[in-house]
Amino acid sequence: MSAFAAISAVLSVGMITYVSRAGLIVFLADRPLPANITRALRYVGPAVLSALTVNLIAGGNGIDGVEIEEVAAIGASIVVASITRNLIAALAAGMLTLWVLLAIL
Amino acid sequence: MASRPAIEQRESSTRDALRAAVPLFIPAIPFALVLGVAITESAMPTAVAWSTNLFVFAGAAQLATVSLAATATWLTLVATAAVINLRHVMYSAALSPRFSDQPRWFRWIGPFLLIDQLFALTSVRVHLSSDHWRRFYLTAGLFYFVAWTLTVSLGLVVGSSIPTEWRLDVAPAIMFAGLVVLGLTNRPGVVAAVTGAGVCLLALEVPNNGGILVGAISGVVAGYVADVAQARRADRRSRVTP
Repeated sequence: MSAFAAISAVLSVGMITYVSRAGLIVFLADRPLPANITRALRYVGPAVLSALTVNLIAGGNGIDGVEIEEVAAIGASIVVASITRNLIAALAAGMLTLWVLLAIL
Repeated sequence: MASRPAIEQRESSTRDALRAAVPLFIPAIPFALVLGVAITESAMPTAVAWSTNLFVFAGAAQLATVSLAATATWLTLVATAAVINLRHVMYSAALSPRFSDQPRWFRWIGPFLLIDQLFALTSVRVHLSSDHWRRFYLTAGLFYFVAWTLTVSLGLVVGSSIPTEWRLDVAPAIMFAGLVVLGLTNRPGVVAAVTGAGVCLLALEVPNNGGILVGAISGVVAGYVADVAQARRADRRSRVTP
């Protein structure tokens, strides 16, 4: 990615982030969101973050980019996160699983 | 000049804000370190990737931006970060009434600092007086801004000395998987996450990493439909057994 593309991407993401945070406060003060929108927005986080996880594991190489060690690490992270509700523990479990599998496989 | 009680109140809201803000920052530390390492490995120039701290200041969107630079097109990258940040619209909507009697400068600057932790802290303190709430918000928000930028920078310094065999490039994906799980509070949320991941997996061959957006949109629709269905079922049940 060229420096110009990178700078313009960062500035665009920054602007979009600001507008999504400030929009209702600065421009539409006190106008509540329609209930349908609020209901849909609740599921944006889980939907996009899980899609992003899959995409990062594939690493731009389609299904061939998915390695078994990575999948196991993600699985360990999911299991530990659901038991402990702790992001540090989930990250540690994922990385440890990855290292162990890379060492023995 | 401010009277003594006013000064005391100001000091106490500053102290309260820091006391409440620091513990919530601790779980964000590994995230910030992972982001720092991801910045060193980003396809973007390091300084530009680092500048997301100043211009974006939103962990998940920053991590997506610097990690996707290697494989995604400009448009996919920006669109993905935009979708990740849509949840901030909810925060904005929830806090909007508390902002309505605030000075104009604060209505413009305040939202820039509105990260998950700050929302968690300030949305439960809307009963504070206008001035008190604003000081609490700004103190906690600026603390997060400074602490976040410093910790990410630390990750950047540490990250460049860690050998690639440690495979820290996988850490962002592990982080996102954990974040998904922690964000799940109900069954429709699980439906949204599973659909998002499943559709993205099926859509991996969509060019320019468009599968992320296809997956995300499918997940939101699925979550919405599941939510409506759940509400209908609950409604029916309450009518059968009053």
